Amino acid sequence: MSKKITTIFAVMTLAFGFIYADTFTKEDILRWQKEFDAAAKYGRQLWENSAEYKLGTNNVACAQCHPNAANTHPETYPKFQKQLGRVVSLADMVNWCIINPLEGKPLKLDSKEMIALLSYIHSERRGVKLAPGKH
Amino acid sequence: MNRYLFVLCIAAVLIAGIKPEAKFMISEFLEKDSQLGLPPMKIPEDNPITKDKVLLGEKLFMDERFSSTGKVSCSTCHLPEKAFTDSPLKVSEGIDKLKGTRNAPTVINAAFNRSQFWDGRSPDLEDQALHPFLNPVEMGLPNHEPILKIVRSDPGYVNQFKKVFDVSPPQITIRHVVKAIAAFERVIISSNSRFDRWYFRGENVLNDKEKQGFELFTIKGRCVSCHVIEHTTALFTDGKFHNVGVGINNVSDEDVARLSAEFLKTMYNQSDVDLKVLADSKTSELGRFAVTRNVTELGSFKTPTLRNIALTAPYMHDGSQKTLEEVIDHYNRGGASSDKEKINPYLSGGIKPLNLTDEEKAALVAFMKTLTGKNFEKFQK
Amino acid sequence: MSADISRRKFLERSALGAASALFPIAMVNVVFGKKKGGEATKSKGTREKSDFTFAYISDAHIQQISGNKFVRNWDQGLKRAVAEANLLVPKPDFVMFGGDLGQLGKKVELDHGAEIMSACKYKTRYVMGEHDYYLDMGAYWEKLFGSHYYSFDHKGVHFVVLNSVLTYDSWNNKWPSAEERMNQMAGLDNPNGTPFMVGEAQRSWLKKDLAKVGRDTPVIVLSHSPIQKIYKGWNFWTEDAEQVQALLKPFSKVNVIYGHVHQIQYNQIGNISFNSVMATSWPWPYPQTYALVKSNLPVLTVPMNRADPFFERDATGWQFIDVNSGKVAATYLLPDNENRTVKYSNKTGRPEDVKYQDKRTAAQEHY
Repeated sequence: MSKKITTIFAVMTLAFGFIYADTFTKEDILRWQKEFDAAAKYGRQLWENSAEYKLGTNNVACAQCHPNAANTHPETYPKFQKQLGRVVSLADMVNWCIINPLEGKPLKLDSKEMIALLSYIHSERRGVKLAPGKH
Repeated sequence: MNRYLFVLCIAAVLIAGIKPEAKFMISEFLEKDSQLGLPPMKIPEDNPITKDKVLLGEKLFMDERFSSTGKVSCSTCHLPEKAFTDSPLKVSEGIDKLKGTRNAPTVINAAFNRSQFWDGRSPDLEDQALHPFLNPVEMGLPNHEPILKIVRSDPGYVNQFKKVFDVSPPQITIRHVVKAIAAFERVIISSNSRFDRWYFRGENVLNDKEKQGFELFTIKGRCVSCHVIEHTTALFTDGKFHNVGVGINNVSDEDVARLSAEFLKTMYNQSDVDLKVLADSKTSELGRFAVTRNVTELGSFKTPTLRNIALTAPYMHDGSQKTLEEVIDHYNRGGASSDKEKINPYLSGGIKPLNLTDEEKAALVAFMKTLTGKNFEKFQK
Repeated sequence: MSADISRRKFLERSALGAASALFPIAMVNVVFGKKKGGEATKSKGTREKSDFTFAYISDAHIQQISGNKFVRNWDQGLKRAVAEANLLVPKPDFVMFGGDLGQLGKKVELDHGAEIMSACKYKTRYVMGEHDYYLDMGAYWEKLFGSHYYSFDHKGVHFVVLNSVLTYDSWNNKWPSAEERMNQMAGLDNPNGTPFMVGEAQRSWLKKDLAKVGRDTPVIVLSHSPIQKIYKGWNFWTEDAEQVQALLKPFSKVNVIYGHVHQIQYNQIGNISFNSVMATSWPWPYPQTYALVKSNLPVLTVPMNRADPFFERDATGWQFIDVNSGKVAATYLLPDNENRTVKYSNKTGRPEDVKYQDKRTAAQEHY
């Protein structure tokens, strides 16, 4: 009996496979891209107006030293980061910058702000080949 | 054969042939894992380490006859039982207890330094050994001849130099002497501390306070950038020179201007610098600038290692910080030894106020006490 | 330093074999006006001839946090530059400040910056920067430091100070408040930005000013913006660069010294040598590190060493400018980094790094 059911199930899956697979449409892709863009946009706001968003405590903004997120090298992470003495991810280094030049408190790794910053950093560096570990 | 293995082999040979009368027990320093956390040592091609050379070097290191009063040897300021320093002296005392201006750095792990002396004026151990003999506040000799006279006539030395370097007495030069001393210094290493065993081996030998101290060391305390820890080794020094606001904070602007102008106008050589910086404490505060004449290095001194730091009080190039707690307070203030002290403008960019709580300060101190090498643990209180 | 370096090399690298880079002009055997072969240069309007040094401090960006609290990092940078410049041997003839004394042009910032600068032992002249200008169009600056643009002569060299951070009136006038205008200008990578220019008024002033100067008189132009077109997105740009350069073309020895870029740059365009000056506050990235755009960093430039952000002063600093035979040698003093000297080479007819022009190091790779 169960063998029959299995066969029917298999046939139905073949015929109506789209119901069970991870399918998505062009509209979905566009929509999800916009979600990312929104995160990157928020990241840009944090980047430029760090003081307003209270990322640090001394009015210094990320954009002051990193216009257009230049010199952040997201493609090289994870890597050995001298300032932390060990191999770390980009998020760890973002927090290092928040703590040190910005004199603020580190962000939680899963916070909206951290994700936004990472999204912005990566979006300004799109197309650059991965080079993990590169100093 | 890579150098690391080479040293271990020598170590094994040395353990096997220890002379019972050697004042300093080399074997302790050659145990298994004695290099855990240290990088491979760079040994110069022209001065390989051999058992006999090390023993000769030790003898020379301890020999008080190599001074004008016959009472000062290298070990006077670098005592084995004081972790090769003269703790608790602030600044070292040479012949006739004449005071210099600087605190004796430890010989332990000095073989890993990229340069020697607090201001890096010496490129290696062989060169470093040449100078204290001639400094008027250290051994006070006019030149190296008195040393050579002794090693060329003392039968014990004559035999050893012949054995080690295959030279007859008239052929013995000061270069042979310092090579032997350097070889001895190269086996004075120490690691396999509780930190090493925890960080590189994952052993559960650190308590929570010490672990908190480690985290502060790498993040809020901002120590790790100069007192380097890497992924498989930790020298606790970057070998570079930094002005951390010790000493020079108290030299007036007029004195800085006068002394810096003097060094900018005159080309002093290495020996001149050696004499001048130990003769006058204000000149000493010029630090690395006295060697390079680069005004951006005013008041900069070499980052010392933190290994065995619990044993080498007092701290800093002038011995001005008596305890580790004082050191942490100095950094916590952003480079001032007291709340009222004015911080000099040449301060290293890495130094800034830290806002550490008392608990955090204590944790940092606790962490630093875990850096004592296994072979020196017995000296730690 | 690797232990593989021989003892001799080590000693050479320290002061014992000090690189001439650290010796100011007085130690260098150059006679003003006489090239090899003994020809002296003579020109109309030249006064006393001698080689000299002046110090250059720039881009301090004193930034208020609130009340009497300022960003400690930038304060430190300026204090340090002034303290070190005071120690310079031989003494500089005068000091230039290259612009961007304040971050948002506020009175408190300019006052605090002027106070730090007042510790400088030598006569100081000031060049306008955009961060000083756009809050009140330079009104308070003028009270503190004088004209926005002017010229002066020193030991036979004609100096011109330009306010090269002006822009279109339409941009100036479109903002609801002065603060907003300043905020917009303060963002280097602001997509709502606007290019710098010297502008027609100053160009005609410059033309008249230069008419009185002999063609062989060395001319040094001090400007905040580069008088070149390097990267528009970050305003490493002067919109009317070509027109200004054209006014300078008739002169045999022209140097342009500019701030704004917070990094070592140098170039030669025709008869004009260009040298940037460092910031005391923070380094900007080199334009090529922004992967999404094209930029025109002069190929000639050997970049400064990459900075370690742990050391706040790394890739910041100040410089002294030696003028010899009417051409400029800039020695950059960069704490926690490596000092550099960029000197005009008579052989190649362009500024060159005295040590690294033909051999770059890993630390100079910016990507």
